[in-house]
Amino acid sequence: MTSRKKLGVSYVLMVLLTLVIVIPIIWLGFISMKSNSEILNDPLSLPQSLNFENYKSALRTLDLATLYKNTFFIAVCALVVEIVITFSSAVGLARLHYRNPSVSAGLQYFLLIGLAVSPFILLFPIYRINKFFGFGQHLSLILPYIATSVSFNTLLFTAYLRTVPKELDEAALMDGVSLWQLITKILVPIAKPVLATVIIFNLLYIWNEYPFASIMIENPAYYTISRGIAAFQGQYSIDYGGLSAYSVMVLLPELVFYGIFQRHVVDGMTVGAVKG
Amino acid sequence: MQLLSTRKNKLLLLLPTCLVYSVYIILPILLSAHYSFTKYSGISKPRFYGLKNYTRLLDDPYFWIALKNTAIILGISVVLLGIGAFFIALLFNQPMRGVNVCKALVFAPAIIASIIAGVIWGYVLDPVTGLVNNILRAVGLGKLALEWIGGKTLSPYSIAFVFFWQQAGYIAAIYLAGLKTIPHEMMEAAAVDGANFWQRLFRVTIPALKGTFVSVGILIITGSMKIFEIVQQLTGGGPTHYSETLVTYAYDTTFARGEYGYGMAMAMATFLISIVLMGIFTLLLRDRD
Repeated sequence: MTSRKKLGVSYVLMVLLTLVIVIPIIWLGFISMKSNSEILNDPLSLPQSLNFENYKSALRTLDLATLYKNTFFIAVCALVVEIVITFSSAVGLARLHYRNPSVSAGLQYFLLIGLAVSPFILLFPIYRINKFFGFGQHLSLILPYIATSVSFNTLLFTAYLRTVPKELDEAALMDGVSLWQLITKILVPIAKPVLATVIIFNLLYIWNEYPFASIMIENPAYYTISRGIAAFQGQYSIDYGGLSAYSVMVLLPELVFYGIFQRHVVDGMTVGAVKG
Repeated sequence: MQLLSTRKNKLLLLLPTCLVYSVYIILPILLSAHYSFTKYSGISKPRFYGLKNYTRLLDDPYFWIALKNTAIILGISVVLLGIGAFFIALLFNQPMRGVNVCKALVFAPAIIASIIAGVIWGYVLDPVTGLVNNILRAVGLGKLALEWIGGKTLSPYSIAFVFFWQQAGYIAAIYLAGLKTIPHEMMEAAAVDGANFWQRLFRVTIPALKGTFVSVGILIITGSMKIFEIVQQLTGGGPTHYSETLVTYAYDTTFARGEYGYGMAMAMATFLISIVLMGIFTLLLRDRD
């Protein structure tokens, strides 16, 4: 095959692949503009006009603003706490001096066990633990989200912090900085790239998380956006139109976020995967 | 650094993480293991049950169906994602107009919530109202309009395809990051030696990317054994558990049927299977050195 022909085939493959990936998302947009009877009786027809009935009905079924507020609150709390504590523990493991180095190595292995653990083993015991402590509502999700981030964050933070020359700490100590200043003034600014990776990775995880959210939160007033889907599925029928409109409203902000931070999102997720 | 390495500072830095992690990761693993040896319905206290939950698994036909479905999904994912996404990366690695836009679009499903991915594909695969079957009927290929979801046989294949849709751009991006690390000189030298595309692929590219293949393999094993929302949304495990995967069946047993001991035994078994698979996989790749 000549290289021009080969390039032609490549173009065709690239466009076909992209269409296969994108069409289902566009189709969801079309569905959201059609009435329930159109969806069931005339499946291939395109929406006749810009019809926002489904969106109104979705907003009647669920208080989307509250769901967004809940998800945002949970994500911010979990992220702030987990970044502070896992970055600190990574500093403790990677920068402090241990008379017996196997202590810090052993502790690090202990913190990495979580990488191999599937959330499905944790669901029921965590449900019980939350009940035992009396943690309900937002807290019952924030704590497991923090805990499930520990292994991944420890892996990335310690690997990064070990690449920073130790002399830097010594020099700072000469200037008489405290532990707090060492972390906030010196190590955090240096670790900005890995912090960005960890934040993006964990933010997407929490935003999209479903299994924990489906078990821990019982009161609809505290539902997260992914948990809200269930509201459209009655025991005997599904509100197809409302469900599609709701999904679009969940999807659009995510795609906008992705559009803005695309480079960071792709880099963050792939770096995380390769190191994980 | 000696100066700051006091016991007090170490405790201050390490304790919060270790505490949350011990209570919410380590303790639950131990509790799960404990429950898996008990009969527990949530009302009375868990009663010691020995290995009976585990032997019951072997006699449970739906467990075997869930295992078979999970194996199908894993097998298809290895082919479509492990190999297919590698070729997608090779495709995207060429200088083409619009390649960056296409890369970005193909990656997009990876950031969409899995539960929404399930909703999206419900509208595409539904046998009666879905996009695929209606297009097939419209172009006169009605015979190919199969029961993609909701029947007894095809669901795991459809689920595997949706998983591919979600992960293809993501896995391809990981391969692309690996391809960027291969020195140009190596490729040029191989080309000068008259190596054709396939020779370069097998002699240069694939050996150079061994580490990437290991990462991707682990991601595919852990990822395909955790597929949950897609199944919940597309089939709910039905009809009568025929499209269940290991995790959805364990979830259903635990939370819908309230058989906590049996459900935890199932979750532990699933976890052990994935650990064993990862072990075998890493050993296999290591032996080739």
